[in-house]
Amino acid sequence: DGPALSPAAQRVASQHGVDPASVSGTGRDGRVIKEDVQRAMSQPAAAA
Amino acid sequence: MSQHFDVVVIGAGPAGYVAAIRAAQLGLKTACIDNFIGKDGKPALGGTCLNVGCIPSKALLDSSKQFHNLVHGFKDHGISAQKPAIDVGTMVGRKDRIVKQFTGGIAQLFKANKVTAIAGFGQLQAGRKVIVTTPDGSTSEVTGTNIILAAGSVPIELPGMAFDGEYIVDNAGALDFQDTPKRLGVIGAGVIGLELGSVWKRLGADVTVLEAMDSFLGAADADIAKIARREFDKQGLAIKLGAKVSKAEVKKKAVEVTYTDKEGEQTLVVDRLLVAVGRRAATKGLLAEGTGVQLDERGRVVVDEHCYTGVEGVWAVGDCVRGPMLAHKGSEEGIAVAELIAGLPGHVNLDTIPWVIYTEPEIAWVGKTEKELKDAGIPYRVGTFPFAAIGRAVAMNETAGQVKMLAHAETDRILGVHMVGPVVSELIAECVVAMEFKGSSEDLARIVHAHPTLSEAVHEAALSVDKRAIHKGN
Repeated sequence: DGPALSPAAQRVASQHGVDPASVSGTGRDGRVIKEDVQRAMSQPAAAA
Repeated sequence: MSQHFDVVVIGAGPAGYVAAIRAAQLGLKTACIDNFIGKDGKPALGGTCLNVGCIPSKALLDSSKQFHNLVHGFKDHGISAQKPAIDVGTMVGRKDRIVKQFTGGIAQLFKANKVTAIAGFGQLQAGRKVIVTTPDGSTSEVTGTNIILAAGSVPIELPGMAFDGEYIVDNAGALDFQDTPKRLGVIGAGVIGLELGSVWKRLGADVTVLEAMDSFLGAADADIAKIARREFDKQGLAIKLGAKVSKAEVKKKAVEVTYTDKEGEQTLVVDRLLVAVGRRAATKGLLAEGTGVQLDERGRVVVDEHCYTGVEGVWAVGDCVRGPMLAHKGSEEGIAVAELIAGLPGHVNLDTIPWVIYTEPEIAWVGKTEKELKDAGIPYRVGTFPFAAIGRAVAMNETAGQVKMLAHAETDRILGVHMVGPVVSELIAECVVAMEFKGSSEDLARIVHAHPTLSEAVHEAALSVDKRAIHKGN
């Protein structure tokens, strides 16, 4: 199912090709909020 | 031999009765002690809110609004009436019936949840024992594994202006005038002063509100306060800022009020004077010697973020502790404490408590004001939308006011929402939910709002944060 996304988080993730499953949510009950996706985009991907 | 309970609540206002019901729901043997006596001379549950606060003031605000509309508001609709008249006795009687219905309702809820109601004044002793004194002077005692202090608040009396129940009154007195006073003076332009001033103004009283502060509604967002002030001025509510009252004397069936403003000493003569300068924690006599419970310099019970006093098993909630004196704040604290006692996680987010003033137009807000954000150096964006551009508001003939949304400039998280306008008391709920979910202005902007409704003003204000409101230039 993937994480629960807020409407704005959904938009940012879709537009910028961010996989919501890779974002850790800080909203209520772990919900991914807009700023979580923005933060995930600004941070370099962790080394594998 | 004293009766023992798992939880003993002192006070049956919105903080206390809700705490008692929640504790009972969680299987705790609960008692709730209260000493309020209703207009019929019998014990009445519900505290200030139900008996002399929230509910009765809303009853009179509604009646007076209906009358005001009949006299002034219906001509545009093509509705006319012959000689509209108001019978104040009937209006107040209706209010009393509503109060009785709700206080009786709490008694039924107590029965249904097996909460033991004890009538009398409760005083906490050391060792979690409570001595209950009834009006006839007899005493009894109960003990509790846990004690919840929910003693509430009382109106502040100004020196030399003691409440006499007839000429100089508090909120309770101003809810029970048997006729419309020709001239009503109000000291304090806060929630109580503005709401009760509005009631009697609509029924024909000449109302003068004296406020010691130089700014109007200092706790509200400045733009919202400015719009509200303009509307109250149009209604003829005379609000005098920077007016410091020095004395009030009853002379020849009138009250002579002396105050000083920037032009010097002034005199105001009124038929009734409502003193509504604030409320203080009702902790007088609440604590016997040696309980270990601390009071602060304003007489409030000292508690931590979980409403815990630091004395084993003793908690305090509502108006008698820090934080805004609002019924819903007290109730949420009551629920949180009952849950903590039952071993569940309980928490109240003091950052998302909505405020409402039920004037016309209504005023409501949640979160930070623009000034608070500026002072804290937090970058923000603002979105506003006027009710004059909302179809539903125009159809209702209630176009004054706007919604103003503040969101973080970088993260877009909603930091505060401020409104003045029709039924904004209901519109604010959506914003509280959004903030509790750490929502962004874009979240509200991307949610479908029904058309035509007043809630579209919230939607458009959210769109306006990103300068893309549809029904106004951005």
